[in-house]
Amino acid sequence: MSTTPDSKLSQPLASLGISSADGVQSLFAEVRSRFDMDAARVTDEASFKAFRDTWLARKSGVITLITDNWLKPASPDVKRLVGAALNELRAHVDSQIEAHRRAVETGVESAATAKDRVDLSLPGVIRPIGSHHLIRTVMQEIEDIFFSIGFSVVEGPEIETPYYNFEALNIPEHHPVRDDMDTFYLDVADDTPGKLLLRTHTSPVQIRTMEKRQPPVRVIVPGKVYRRDNPDATHSFMFHQIEGLAVDTDITFCDFTGTIEYFVKQFFGESVKTRFRPSYFPFTEPSVEFDVSCIFCGGTGSGASGVVCGKCKGSGWIELFGAGMVDPAVYGFVNYDPKKVSGFAFGMGMDRLAMLKYGIDDLQVFFQNDVRFLRQFP
Amino acid sequence: MKVSYNWLREFVDITTSPEEVAARLALTGTNIASIEKGAHGAVIDAEITSNRPDCLGMIGIAREAAAAYRLPLKTISAKPAESAATKASDAISVKIEAPDLCGRFTARVIRGVKVQPSPQWLKDRLEAAGTASINNVVDISNYVMLETGHPLHTFDYDLVRNHSIVVRRAKAGEKIRTLDGIERTLDPSICTVCDGDGSRSVGIGGIMGGGETEISFSTKSVLIECAWFDPIAIRRAARSLRLHTEASMRFGRGADPETADLASRRAAELILQLAGGELFSGVVDLYPGKRVPKKITLTRRELLRIMGADVPDKDIEAILSSLGFAPVRSDQNGGSINSLLAAWECTQPSWRAEVEREIDLIEEVARVYGLSHFPPRLPAARLGAARLPHYEAEMRLRERLIGLGYHEILTIPHVAEDRNELFRPAETSPAKLSNPLSEEASVLKSTGAVTMAGAIEWNLNHGQRNARLFEIGSHYRFVKGKPVETRILTVGATGAVRAQALYDAPRDYGFADLKGDLDAIGALSGGLRWEQGGPDWLNPLRRGAISLGKESGPSLGYAGQLGKRAAEKFKFRQDVFLAEIELGPLYCMYYGVKNSRRYEPLPRFPGVERDFSLFLADGVTFAQVQQIIWSLAIPEVASIEAADLFRGKNVPAGKFSLLVRVVFQSREATLTESQINEFSSRIVAALEQNLGATLRAS
Ligand SMILES: [Zn+2]
Repeated sequence: MSTTPDSKLSQPLASLGISSADGVQSLFAEVRSRFDMDAARVTDEASFKAFRDTWLARKSGVITLITDNWLKPASPDVKRLVGAALNELRAHVDSQIEAHRRAVETGVESAATAKDRVDLSLPGVIRPIGSHHLIRTVMQEIEDIFFSIGFSVVEGPEIETPYYNFEALNIPEHHPVRDDMDTFYLDVADDTPGKLLLRTHTSPVQIRTMEKRQPPVRVIVPGKVYRRDNPDATHSFMFHQIEGLAVDTDITFCDFTGTIEYFVKQFFGESVKTRFRPSYFPFTEPSVEFDVSCIFCGGTGSGASGVVCGKCKGSGWIELFGAGMVDPAVYGFVNYDPKKVSGFAFGMGMDRLAMLKYGIDDLQVFFQNDVRFLRQFP
Repeated sequence: MKVSYNWLREFVDITTSPEEVAARLALTGTNIASIEKGAHGAVIDAEITSNRPDCLGMIGIAREAAAAYRLPLKTISAKPAESAATKASDAISVKIEAPDLCGRFTARVIRGVKVQPSPQWLKDRLEAAGTASINNVVDISNYVMLETGHPLHTFDYDLVRNHSIVVRRAKAGEKIRTLDGIERTLDPSICTVCDGDGSRSVGIGGIMGGGETEISFSTKSVLIECAWFDPIAIRRAARSLRLHTEASMRFGRGADPETADLASRRAAELILQLAGGELFSGVVDLYPGKRVPKKITLTRRELLRIMGADVPDKDIEAILSSLGFAPVRSDQNGGSINSLLAAWECTQPSWRAEVEREIDLIEEVARVYGLSHFPPRLPAARLGAARLPHYEAEMRLRERLIGLGYHEILTIPHVAEDRNELFRPAETSPAKLSNPLSEEASVLKSTGAVTMAGAIEWNLNHGQRNARLFEIGSHYRFVKGKPVETRILTVGATGAVRAQALYDAPRDYGFADLKGDLDAIGALSGGLRWEQGGPDWLNPLRRGAISLGKESGPSLGYAGQLGKRAAEKFKFRQDVFLAEIELGPLYCMYYGVKNSRRYEPLPRFPGVERDFSLFLADGVTFAQVQQIIWSLAIPEVASIEAADLFRGKNVPAGKFSLLVRVVFQSREATLTESQINEFSSRIVAALEQNLGATLRAS
């Protein structure tokens, strides 16, 4: 396999009659060419090992023999020449042997049989992982956006009194708005003072918050709300709202629209357009409905192949939620001075926002909790 | 309110398209539902908010359009020709006995009319507005209502007994057959219009007329009633009678009492024009509810304070004028244009009763000026924001459960009472609804388990055999007559915990899965304590009561396999596991444990494991084994684990085999073989002596 150790290797240079630089150089050239011939014969792991041992074995490898027999006994002048030539040879040998080692290893691996190779198209070990409910995810997202601009998160009870749900929000008994918010009432014992209801919006928490804190107030209120609507694709008698309230000595309508626009661009993306339309709610004034450009047709009003966009009915706008400046009458219920403070409030349906953002066309899927639905939104 | 574009143009010289008009109206406060192109031109469907009864007539919408476009409004002026011969006051007498319900009543009489079908233009107008044509006299009263927004009623004058009208509260149980042919029973909160001596109701005031005095093709003389009724009373009556009409809708939101006479004259004028006859001169007009127009002042200072950006004088004045508020500069700086001190004294128009305050005027100016003129900006922050107190604890709990393979669900808390009863603790009262939509949703869940079982039911019924779910929500109970909402975690699981897969053997979810997963959550709060117990709806052999803390701590809830009775009720044919724990104490402890957690240096010497393979009598618990070993007080005992549990082959009857793994660990030195042997024999001896354990021959 490899060359038989040359008899020259066992003799000192003096015995070989070499003492000149030329002599040393040609001798090393001969060794090097022999090395290259040996290297060319390496084909597999076994031949590589023999090759390596021939040249690098500690006791009788060629390099050791040269060191022991040629270098050590040489006269000082010749020693210098041999040392330099040996270093050069050594570097060549090392790099070539390393290169052959890699080539052989790779060859060995690539030659392994197919049965030992992993099939990357097979799955790994699948550990079951659960999922966040989409409404919770959206709620968290909205919370985070408002939190980032200084809104604290508060909560309130779902079982409410008419006072907090209506009266203190400037909706006296027999106000027509009460007809629009069909309300569930609780069957209470005769000794319970007053009626109880399921809150129809998260707005009662506005009142509860202002009763407890003095301005500045800046809160959002996520939670369940209830309206006595027959369930269908866009109605559920329980749904989720996020209420927002900011009251301070210097909050204006411009701060209100700025806050809402900031939120919407964070939630739906920078390209969404917004508009505020005057509207009416008893607890805000001026009141608005807030619209965004239709995210399905990009606000053009027509969908693919020119048909009228079903989501915005061709208007290019989607109504998102109602809001406005807090009606001064509300401050009267919480002992704020309406001449000194002003603020804004909004209440948005989270379920609807989630439906719009994720293209869900049936509100009921949120509450059926089919695992096939749940898995879609990890 | 259906707004015919052509009709609208009779009041305002609009030149732009119906779509453009609708868009402009939408941006100044009239919500537009749709635009339809009909046979009689475009019809804009306007959704009028409940504060704007004035917009329930064409004139009101036209006023909005005129303000939006800054165009003049052509008002209605009705000057019907009156007969010189007879006075209305001689032909009809009116008495209002309930002035709190009826604030105005006008009566006009026309003699010698010819009731016949309406001309085509009138039919078309009504059709465009969605109203059916009946005859010219009735159609005119509908037309005038659509035009002015003020409802009217016409009687066959000759059928009104004694030519006398009495407006009074109904008697309890009083009956009337209304125009729709239905007999209705009234009560004293309802205002009725009677004839003769006041004993017979001929109409429910402001809601619907009676059949007795109805206009027919044989009617010769017409009595025109144009009145004003109290909105709250009307809404209450319409609701209690379940009789919602165009009239009750308009009166219920608050009609304009001043318009009553105008609408009456307008109707008279049209009747004379289309049905002929002779109008008695004058009017019988009782007006106990006459109001003094309010004065309201708008200041620029307040406008700026609320809106954050200015509106020029000329716009403020133009807008308020076109809406009918007749603004007059009333500040000291009256001559100075756009002065910061500018103020305007305005007069409330009779049709805008809801505008009473400065803020109302600000809204009027802002909406017509255009909300887009107020530039958005973010408010200055003045305080730090806070999360909910339990935010972090809940987030970690949720993430851990999801990591353990559970899907978060959200359920509607309304359930059927019989289902709720399966789970409700006897000592609590349920939160029942007094007006549920259905029996299936008549009570709020007293436990999380009931809706969790429902969610599992849904999945099983839809072919989803394997489900691991959790819900963070509330249950609703009455405690001492007060509603209590308690935040709870409910866990539910059924089916395979691991399906047959490439690297796994299948295994069904079991009690140990539930316990292990709950312990993983409990670890965040310092660990859970499990004791015998739990509600009867859990299988008594596979259930446990859960508390917080090692020794003592508040009770949190329970976990186990759903018992037979409840499982049958839900028709479950596979094991279902449920747990419910109260989150308040768990969250509270989360923060306590987190804040008191301190670093413990890692041991420098290796620990040594020893396994003890024991035979124990059935009924002996692992806790007893642990307790015996701990009680030896060997400080080097670092942990005691159950490594294997086995019954059956090679195990004597009445016994089971338990492999206990003890780890010995010293902080001072590496333990020697003889030390370990000494500990081990003490352990074996103690277990033999106290629990009758025998070492299994290995
Ligand atoms: Zn669209």
